[in-house]
Amino acid sequence: MNYRRAILLRKAIHFAINLTIAAFALAPLLWGLGSSLKPTNRILQVPPEIIPSEITFAHYYTLIENDLFRYMGNSAIVSVASVALCLVLGALAGYALSRFAFPGRKGVMLIVITVMSIPIASLLVPTYTLLANIGLLNSRVGLVLLYTAYELPIVIWIMFGYFNTIPRQLENAAMIDGYGRFEAFRRIVVPLSGPGLIASGLFVLIAAWNDFVVAVVMTSAEAVRTLPVAVYFYLGFFGREWGPLLAASMVSIAPIILIFVLFQKYFVSGVTGGGVKG
Amino acid sequence: MRAWWRRRRNGGAKAGADAFALRLVAPALLIEFLFVFAPLALGLYYSVHSVRYFQLGRFVGFDNYIAVLTSPAVLNSFVVTAIFSFGSLIFTFVVGFALALHLERDRRAAVFMRAVVLVPYVISMLVGSLLLKWILSQDSGVPQSVLGIFGITPFSIFADSSAAMGALIYNAVWRDAAFAMILLLAGLKSIPLELYSAARVDGASAWYRFYRLTLPLLRTPMLITLVRLLMHFMNSLTFQLILTGGGPANTTETVALRIYRLGFEDYALGRANALSFVVFLINVVMIVLLTRLFRPAEKLR
Repeated sequence: MNYRRAILLRKAIHFAINLTIAAFALAPLLWGLGSSLKPTNRILQVPPEIIPSEITFAHYYTLIENDLFRYMGNSAIVSVASVALCLVLGALAGYALSRFAFPGRKGVMLIVITVMSIPIASLLVPTYTLLANIGLLNSRVGLVLLYTAYELPIVIWIMFGYFNTIPRQLENAAMIDGYGRFEAFRRIVVPLSGPGLIASGLFVLIAAWNDFVVAVVMTSAEAVRTLPVAVYFYLGFFGREWGPLLAASMVSIAPIILIFVLFQKYFVSGVTGGGVKG
Repeated sequence: MRAWWRRRRNGGAKAGADAFALRLVAPALLIEFLFVFAPLALGLYYSVHSVRYFQLGRFVGFDNYIAVLTSPAVLNSFVVTAIFSFGSLIFTFVVGFALALHLERDRRAAVFMRAVVLVPYVISMLVGSLLLKWILSQDSGVPQSVLGIFGITPFSIFADSSAAMGALIYNAVWRDAAFAMILLLAGLKSIPLELYSAARVDGASAWYRFYRLTLPLLRTPMLITLVRLLMHFMNSLTFQLILTGGGPANTTETVALRIYRLGFEDYALGRANALSFVVFLINVVMIVLLTRLFRPAEKLR
């Protein structure tokens, strides 16, 4: 009897701890969501309402009138293009590193690990200097190339590790059957690499969609503005009018949270991958 | 004759394979050279010239470096960065370690909770900091209500320098504790369970098992986590840019934010590139340290 009570107490304590952790982690998001649905006069009310008594989508409509869809479109184009480029180039390079002892392989490995670890903050000014000189400021192509350069090492690293788990005998057998080297890679190895490709694709997608620092420095034109930069400009534009700002924040994180919930198990391999970027 | 022929044929196959592999890595290398190494080289070139609004002037040697490293604003930013980095490092590491130990078992609740604590880490840093800025501002009404409970007269958090630094560190812990947790969990999982069973049979207490088994076996993962977190905090820009804007009176202006202002508000590209390069060198030292740490970790596997 006593034993059972001890177990019950232990469970209750665990539950209380978990609830506290969840509250700390999620409260800012839930609070922001609640406030984004309140009418303006209720948002600034002191003491605040925890659950909105009156719900309105007015702030979301304000955003739509302020080009929200254009910014979302820019973010989507840039993110998807970065994912595609990273996966193609990363899979090719990862495969070479995994299968061939070519001259310079160690050097390539060193470059991959080093670039993976260089924090973007120390690259911002030099990169801006370069893009200004070659006319790639204010362009979506410029952003895609930069995101690819920054995320490619992690993709190469993940794909390298993944290809190492695929037995070479499969390709050897295919080559005996008359496949060329590249054909064996494309028709035998790539179809087996789904989980690795999904993990790396997710990592690039989240990084590109979330990026604010690179985009705010490299673009200023409204035509190419991505969603996080738009949120930052709303901060200046709406000032202390928190309704539209919080609504924009919610729009910006909703797709990421959805993707994270759906693909959670793939996410961890990217984080532990080895890079230093937080 | 036969042996010669075979060697030659194998040599040919090796050369063909080498060429194939080099073609596969070439596009990736090209991108890295163009957008990581070329900017560094160009930045280095700019850093030893006088630059006025994008016009490259004459060679000035180390003048930009001297100007930057003797500027009170920059020196202040180094001190601020050190305070922010170590404050965030300690709290993030401790909270992340506690989370890893608490959520180590693969029970359903633990798996779910790991996803919950990762949410602040996967959403954009900009939005995370913006949400905290909203909550900690007096507009939201939260500080007034919470401080009132503890009998503290409500004050503006972002107008007080230590409170603003506290807010920044809170933001860092809130976002990155889950990152530390994931790295440490990977380390915890690599410890064989039999060791714990054996210790338990020998009558070791939970505290003794933690102190004499977990901690020593987790040494390398812990060091890797610490270095990765430290590099991340030393170079963080978004927290400061959004949450405090470096204020009040530059007391939360870190090096990354100083570079940002030198480059994109003052357009002093010579000095901004010089300071960037200094920070880059500090990062290189950290990276070398990190790869040293990685090597024994790989041997263990």
